[in-house]
Order: sequence, then structure tokens, then C-alpha cells
Amino acid sequence: MMSELEIRNLTKHYGETRVLHPVSLSVERGEFVTILGPSGCGKSTLLRILMGISEASGGEIHLAGKRLDLAPPEARDIAMVFQSYALFPHMSVAKNLGFGLKMKNVPKDERAKRIAHVVDICNLHGLLDRMPRQLSGGQQQRVALARAVVMQPSLLLFDEPLSNLDAKLRDSLRHDLVALHRRIGTTSLYVTHDQAEAMAMSDRIVVMNAGRIVEIGTPLELYRSPRHVFTAQFLGQTNLLTVEASGTGGRLPWGQVITLDRPATGTAQVSLRPENIAIIADENGVATVSSVAFLGATLFYTMEIGTLSLKVSQAGGVDPLSVGTRVSFDLAGPVHLLDHLPMAEAA
Amino acid sequence: MTLLAIDSREAPRRRLFKAEDRPLVSAGLYLALALCIALPLTLMFLWSVADGWQPPSIFPQSFTTSRWIHILGDENLVAALLTSLFIAFTVTILTALIAMPTAWAMGRFPFRLKRLVEIFILAPVIIPGLVVAVGVGKVFLLLGLAYSVAGVIIVQIVGTLPLMIRLMSATFETIPDELIHAARSLGAGTASIVLHVILPLSVPGLLAGGLMSFIGSFEEFDKSFIVGAPVIQTLPIKLYMYLDPYSMQLPLAAIVSFILLLPALIVFIIAGRIMRDDLMAAGMGKI
Ligand SMILES: Nc1ncnc2c1ncn2[C@@H]1O[C@H](COP(=O)(O)OP(=O)(O)O)[C@@H](O)[C@H]1O
Ligand SMILES: [Mg+2]
Repeated sequence: MMSELEIRNLTKHYGETRVLHPVSLSVERGEFVTILGPSGCGKSTLLRILMGISEASGGEIHLAGKRLDLAPPEARDIAMVFQSYALFPHMSVAKNLGFGLKMKNVPKDERAKRIAHVVDICNLHGLLDRMPRQLSGGQQQRVALARAVVMQPSLLLFDEPLSNLDAKLRDSLRHDLVALHRRIGTTSLYVTHDQAEAMAMSDRIVVMNAGRIVEIGTPLELYRSPRHVFTAQFLGQTNLLTVEASGTGGRLPWGQVITLDRPATGTAQVSLRPENIAIIADENGVATVSSVAFLGATLFYTMEIGTLSLKVSQAGGVDPLSVGTRVSFDLAGPVHLLDHLPMAEAA
Repeated sequence: MTLLAIDSREAPRRRLFKAEDRPLVSAGLYLALALCIALPLTLMFLWSVADGWQPPSIFPQSFTTSRWIHILGDENLVAALLTSLFIAFTVTILTALIAMPTAWAMGRFPFRLKRLVEIFILAPVIIPGLVVAVGVGKVFLLLGLAYSVAGVIIVQIVGTLPLMIRLMSATFETIPDELIHAARSLGAGTASIVLHVILPLSVPGLLAGGLMSFIGSFEEFDKSFIVGAPVIQTLPIKLYMYLDPYSMQLPLAAIVSFILLLPALIVFIIAGRIMRDDLMAAGMGKI
């Protein structure tokens, strides 16, 4: 049984520079998958190839059981939401929404019905006669979304659609998007460099770096038990430490003995999340608080142990410890062991 | 520290345009308009109806309409006007059609030696029309295009094309790639994209380039004169014939300028109207 979207060994190079190393990925029907990676890692390139704007150097793409990469862009059953919205500035909202349907020769009454439907689900009431420049950024992005959704495509693509909006609007549109996806159930591939966005929205996250897929998993899997250093660092905050392991026991650099979540031998790397470290003021503690930041819901500390420094977070309800306080700490549960990879790749 | 000091001194100079500045600014603009357009027009008109105007007096001593009657009474003038209009329209449309593909390439694709090509395209502007016409005239004689409307049209396009290419490539440059990609992903083929996206967004550039071409063609004298005269009589050729090198030029020259200026003014007013229309202005708006 083939997945709805199958990308097999896709490569892309511009002359000598490789932008995509073989990339393979399958997305199930109705799934919301996010590609997460730093700027310049090849996310947009991948979407452009899916759309047909750019040609792959190698590999195959299948959508709904058919070869996608051989069809011209206008014949692909895909709709895209762009970062810059890409609304037609000379057309009213209604004309923007109707453009694709008109191009695909959808009959007029069917067109009206589908537009009325997306106006409803994207909350565009009263905006149909406006020109794009008469809309706020958030409204423009909702129109761009509606223009894609009205096509009822097999696959929806999003290229950092929220990154031009301010934080508050981004949050509310993120919720709207999730609700919309739940309602229409279209298979979606969403690209972002914002890990919070990826965590909040996705069924699965594909972590990408430098043209390669690093790791694929649900937000929970990737956050709690990432295999790679890159994933551990890119999703949320973490402390990377080397341990001397034997079995499920490990010794931290300052001599503390901990339990690992799976057995290993020799030198290994662990990821210790700041929220899994509990600190208390203690005259005889091994660590010293070196900075405090109060972020409202959380308190964020840096503490020094010998030459190492550790990030620690705490629920914001308590009074902050002051800089210079000696503290001792506990680790909640076993510590997560990362796959053995050279430290250099963490950068 | 020095940088900071400069900054703080500069800051108060920048000041926003406020509502109370409006009368002052518009007064200035209207004054400029009066000095640049109304004053010369008035002077020209006075010259055209003056019957003797000696230096010390501010107004002509007496007036006459005889020169206007003489020129406007010439029935060949209407024929020349029609010829000129026909040529100007054809030149404008052909210029636009020829300029588009080049402008598209110049505006949309980065390529090496682009600057060089740009200079090359603008070269005809630098070379005097007379030189172009004399050179081209020889070839036209061989091709049988001399003394024909087609010949005049071709030689005028040499003059109007550079500006049109420049304006259109600037316009095409402003159309974001993503807009075209969006249209394509929504199912539009190349023809639909040109028709529904690129052309509507190029209207301001087309309008500006079209106006320049139209007026450039309508008022063009030297190239048309060498290639077309005396068989083809465009309005400027016809009117310039009235100028008599052995007598006072100003009164007749004033009438000639007036007649040649009129279509330009009409075209600009129409264009102003169209540009104010929301639909057209949208092409210039931000995305
Ligand atoms: N036309 C091109 N020619 C050469 N390199 C390109 C081209 N387009 C993109 N790249 C390179 O490909 C890499 C990936 O780009 P992109 O897919 O846009 O990254 P992302 O969307 O993840 O930020 C970048 O390093 C970029 O410089
Ligand atoms: Mg990108």
C-alpha cells in the first residue's frame, strides 16, 4: 500500500552545489507533516520541486498513486500558500478566490458554492469585494489560505506562511490552521524554521539540515527522545553532556552518577532538558547560579558546575533565586542518551 | 561617540508631513506648474496673436488672428494630422509589441553582460536622429521603404523603442516570481498567466511607455523628414514648412508649437484619468 505522497531519493543540485541530498519521505492521506529546519537547508527547494516550479536532479515523486514529477505545474493537484501571500494585487478577494477554479473550468454555480464554503471556513465574510492592499496581513494570509483550499487539492503546501506576521497574530492563525486542517482533512506539507510552530501543529515533524533529512517523528518523540544532537538542539532548549556509560548507568563530568534511558558503553552523549533539572538552594551544593531570567510562566537559570554551565528552567510561580546562590539539583527520571555521533555535527 | 553626536543633531531635521503643511506644499506645486506650463503657454499664445510686440512693452501693441486663420485654413493640415495620428498609433502599438519580449528578458532573468546590453539598447537615444535617418535612409532606398508610411513608422520605432524597453523591463522587474508561481499552481497555463496576471500588472508601464512613444512619434521631425518628405507629410513636417527663415519666426513658431502640444496634453489628461482608476493603480501597489 502506497502512501498519499511518496518522495523517493529526491536530489537537487545547482551546478556543483548540492542543495538536496537524496531525500525520501512518505506522507499518509490526511496527515499534517511539518518540515522543520534552519534557513537555507533546502525546505523551499523541496516545495518548489513538488510544485513543479523547479526540476529535481534525480528521484521520483508520487501523489495519490500517480507520478507527480512528470506533470506540468498547472496540471498538478497541489495548492500552495506562500510566505508573501502572493495574492493577485489587481484582483478583488472574490476574483483571487475564483481564479484557480476558473482556470480549471469549474462551472459557475459550482464555483460560487465552493467560494461561499471557503469564505465560511476561513472567516472572510465581508471581505470579498476588497482589494488585497485593503486587507491587513492576517486577512491577506487567510485569503491566500482560502485560495488554496478552494481548489480542494490532494496536497496542500505551506512555505512559512506565518513568518511575516507578528507573534500574537501568528499564534491565532496557527490555531485557525490546525482547526481548518481538522475540518477539511487535506494532506498537508508545512515548512517552517520555527520549532514552536512545528510542535504545535504537526502530526509528524521532518527535521532537515543542510539538504538532508535528519530525523522524522511525532513532536513528542522528537522532543523527548531525539536520536540526533541536531534534533535535540533544534527542538527546544537542551544541555548536551558527555557521559561515561556502562549499561544503563552513566557518570557525568562532575562525577554524578545517573540512570540512562537505554544501555550503552564507553563515552556517550546525553541530552538533558532544562525542565528536567530541579534545583534548590543549598549551602553545600555543587553548582552556582550565574544568571536568572524571569519569563513570566517560567524562570530560566544558568548555573555553573566547575567549568560547565547548565540551563535550568522552573515554573515561574516561585521566587527567583539570586545570582551567586549555591544550589544542588535533582534529575527527574532517566537521562536521554543520543545516538553516537561526533560532536562536530551538533553545530 | 562622534557618530552619536551627529545622529542627534540630524534627528530633529527629519519631520513628518503634517496636515497644516498641505496648503504650503500645494501652493508650491501649483506655482511650479504655473511657471513650467501655464506661463510658457500664455506667452506662446500671445506671440501667436501678436501683431507687433517690441521689447519694452509687456503686452503686444495690437493683435491679429490672420496667422491662425491662414494656417488652420490649410486643408492639407487635416490630412497631415490624420497621417500623423495613424503613424503615432501604429508606432505605439508596434513599439509595445516589439519591446515586450526584450523587456521581459531584461527584467526577469539575470544574465552576464546585462549592463552592456542595456547600454546597447539605449544607444539610439544618444545618436542624433539625423544620423540614424541618413544611415537608414540609404538602406530604405534600396528596400523601397523610402518615402513610404511604413518607412517612417520603422524609422520612428528606432527612436521610441529604447525608452519603451526600459520602462517595461522596470515594470516586469516589479512583478514577484511568487505571483507567477501562484498562478501556475492554480492551473493557469502560460497564455492565461500573460493575459490575467502579467498584462494587467504591466498597465502602468505600458501606459507610460505608450504615452512616451505616442508623443515621441507625433512630434518627431528629423527622422520622418529625411525618410518620408516630401511624399509623406506628417503634422510636424507640414507645420515646420510654415517657418520662414527670412522673417520673424516667433509668431508662427508659437502656432506650430501650440498645435503640436495639443495632442500631448489631451493624451496626458486621459492617462491621468485612467491612472486614477483603482484597477490600474492596483498594478503599482505593493503586494
Ligand atoms: N537558483 C539557485 N541557485 C543556486 N543556489 C540556490 C538557488 N536557489 C536556492 N539555492 C540554495 O539552495 C539552498 C536552499 O535554499 P532554500 O530551499 O530556499 O532554503 P530554505 O527554504 O530552507 O531556507 C540555499 O543554500 C540557497 O542558497
Ligand atoms: Mg524558504
